[in-house]
Amino acid sequence: MLDLRVPSGWFFTVLGLILLGMGLFAPETRAALSDANVNLYSGLAMLVFGLFMLLMAWRASRRAA
Amino acid sequence: MKLAPVDYTILAVYFAFVLGIGWMLRKKMSTSGDFLLSGRSVPVWITSLAFIAANLGAQELVGMSASGAKYGIMTAHFYWIGAIPAILFVGIFMMPFYYGSKARSVPEYLKMRYDEKTRTYNAFSFAVMTIFSSGISMYALGKLLQLVLGWDFNMSILVSAAIVLVYTFLGGLTSAIYNEVLQFLLIVAGFSPLAILAVAKAGGWHGIQARLGATTLAGGMSGKVMTHAWTYMGSPHSNPMGVELFGMVAGLGFVLSFGYWCTNFLVIQRAMAADSMNSARRTPLIGAFPKMFLPFIVIVPGIAAVALASMGPSVYSIPLDATTHLPNYNLVITTLMARFYPAGMLGVGLTGLVASFMSGMAGNVTAFNTVWTYDIYQTYIRPNAPDRHYLNVGRATTVVGVLLSIGAAYVATKYDNIMDLLQLVFGFVNAPLFATFLLGMFWKRGTGHAAFSGLVTGTVAASLTWCLTVAEGKGGILGTVYTFPSAMAQSFWIALMAFTSCFLVTLVVSLATKPRPAKDLEGLVYGLTKIPQDRGSWYQRPAPLAVIIIAILLVLNIWFA
Repeated sequence: MLDLRVPSGWFFTVLGLILLGMGLFAPETRAALSDANVNLYSGLAMLVFGLFMLLMAWRASRRAA
Repeated sequence: MKLAPVDYTILAVYFAFVLGIGWMLRKKMSTSGDFLLSGRSVPVWITSLAFIAANLGAQELVGMSASGAKYGIMTAHFYWIGAIPAILFVGIFMMPFYYGSKARSVPEYLKMRYDEKTRTYNAFSFAVMTIFSSGISMYALGKLLQLVLGWDFNMSILVSAAIVLVYTFLGGLTSAIYNEVLQFLLIVAGFSPLAILAVAKAGGWHGIQARLGATTLAGGMSGKVMTHAWTYMGSPHSNPMGVELFGMVAGLGFVLSFGYWCTNFLVIQRAMAADSMNSARRTPLIGAFPKMFLPFIVIVPGIAAVALASMGPSVYSIPLDATTHLPNYNLVITTLMARFYPAGMLGVGLTGLVASFMSGMAGNVTAFNTVWTYDIYQTYIRPNAPDRHYLNVGRATTVVGVLLSIGAAYVATKYDNIMDLLQLVFGFVNAPLFATFLLGMFWKRGTGHAAFSGLVTGTVAASLTWCLTVAEGKGGILGTVYTFPSAMAQSFWIALMAFTSCFLVTLVVSLATKPRPAKDLEGLVYGLTKIPQDRGSWYQRPAPLAVIIIAILLVLNIWFA
C-alpha cells in the first residue's frame, strides 16, 4: 500500500519552497492588512512539516526493509 | 480579487498531487471490496483525519465562518456540544456493532438487525441526501469563486467535479480517503494563518471582546453575545441565533449531531475502512482531537471580521449583497483572505477552499457508490453476479453520482445560509434514524416492522413540523401553528419532533410485534455481542482517549462560556 506520508510530504515541501521563495525574493509582496512577511513564515512552516513527513516515511520504509 | 501567477501555480500543484494519488492507487483495485471498502486495510491516523475531512466540505468552511460573523462563538456549539459527544459515542459504543457485524454499509447493518424494508428505506433516503449534500457543496463553491474571482460558475463546477471523478474512479474509496487527508492538512495550512492574522489585527481575543462589547448588533442586542457561548442562552430572544438552552442541547447536541455522526454512512464508512476493530473504534476518537480545535480556524475568523469592521471601513467592512444590500456573510472568509494574504499565501488559502469542496464531494460520491452498489443494485437489480461485475458497477456509479451532484447543484439556490438548508435536510433524514439505531443496538426487543414504521413516522413528523411552523418567512405551507425566532431554532425542533415520534412509534410497535430470536441478533445488539477487550498503552485504548477529550472539551466550554 502507498505510504500517504510520501505524497503529502512532497506536496508540502513543494508548497513550502514556493512560498519561501516568494518570501525571500519578493518580500515587498504584502497584503493590505498584514505587516508581516506572511509568505516567508508560512512557507517555512510548510517546508518543515513536509520534510518531517518525508523523514517519517523514510524511517518507516527502512524499518520495513 | 485578482490572483497572481504564483497562486495559479499552487492550485495546479494541488491538482497534480490529488490526481497523482489516484493514479498511484489504480492498480490496487482488483475487487469490489478494494474499490468500495478500501479492503479494510487503512492505517488509523489516515482514517481519523478522513473521518473529519469528509465532513469538512466547502459549505462547512464557508457556512461556519458566515455563522461566526452572524452568531459569534455560539456557532462553536456545532462542534463542542454537537459533534464531539456524538463522535465519542459512536467510537465507544456503536463501532463494535458496525465493524464487528461485518456489514459493508450502514443500511446493510439495518438489514442484519431489522429487515429488508428498513434497509431499503434508509439506502434510498441516504442516496438522495448524499447527492444533495454534494450538490450544495458544489453550488457553494461555484457561487463563491464566481463572486470573488469572477470565475465562470459552470466552469469551476465542471473542472472540480471532473478532477474528483478522475481520482475516485481510479482509486475508489482509498483514493478518496487519502486525498481527504491531504485536503484536510491543506485546509489547516491555508486557514490557520488567517485566524492568527485576523485575531492579532483585532487586538487578540480580549481586543475582540472589547470591540464587540462596545457595538450593537442589527437586532438591537449588545455585541457581547458574540464572544460568549453559554451566557446568553437563557431565552431565544437574548441571542442572535434565536435558540434557547433546551433547543440547543436536545435539538442540536443530542438529536441532530448524534443523528449525523452516529448513523451517517459518509463518516462511518471511513471508520469501517480501518484495519482492525481497535482502529475502527479509535478513528472517531482520534479525529475528535483536531475537530475540537477547528472552531478556531473556521469560526473565529468570522468573529474577528465583525470586530475588524467596527474599526472602520478603512480596515475592513462586511461585504454586502449586490441586490439586497444586506450583509452577505458567506463572503467573509474570502474577503478576509484578500485583506490579509499576499500573492502566494492567497493561492494556498483559495486552494484550501477548493480542497474542502473536493473532500466533501468525494466523500459523498464514495458513500453513494457503496450504498447504491451493495444495498440497491446487488439487492434488487442483479444479485449473485461475480464480484468483477460489482466492481464495474461501482466504477460506473462514480460517474453517475458525479453527474447527479452537478444536477443537484443547480437545485440548491434558494437559501442564503447554506448551513440552514443542510440542517433542514438532516432533520428529515438523519434525526429519526438515530432513534432507530439507539433502539436497534441497545434493545434486543426492537423489531423490523417497528423500525420501519418508526422511520416513516419520524420523516412525516419532520415534514409536518416544517409545513406547520414558520421561521424567517420559510415553511408554513399548511398554515402557521407556531413562529420560530430563527430558521436554526426551527430545524432543531424539527429534528426533536422527528426523533421523539420515531422513538415512541418504534417502541410501541416493537412491543406489539413478534420479537426476533436472540441467536439471530448475536453480534448486532448490546448484551448479545462480545465487546472486545482493549489492550495496550493508554493511547491505544478508546476509553482513556475519550476521557482526555472530555476534559479538554470542558475546559473549552468554560473558557468561552
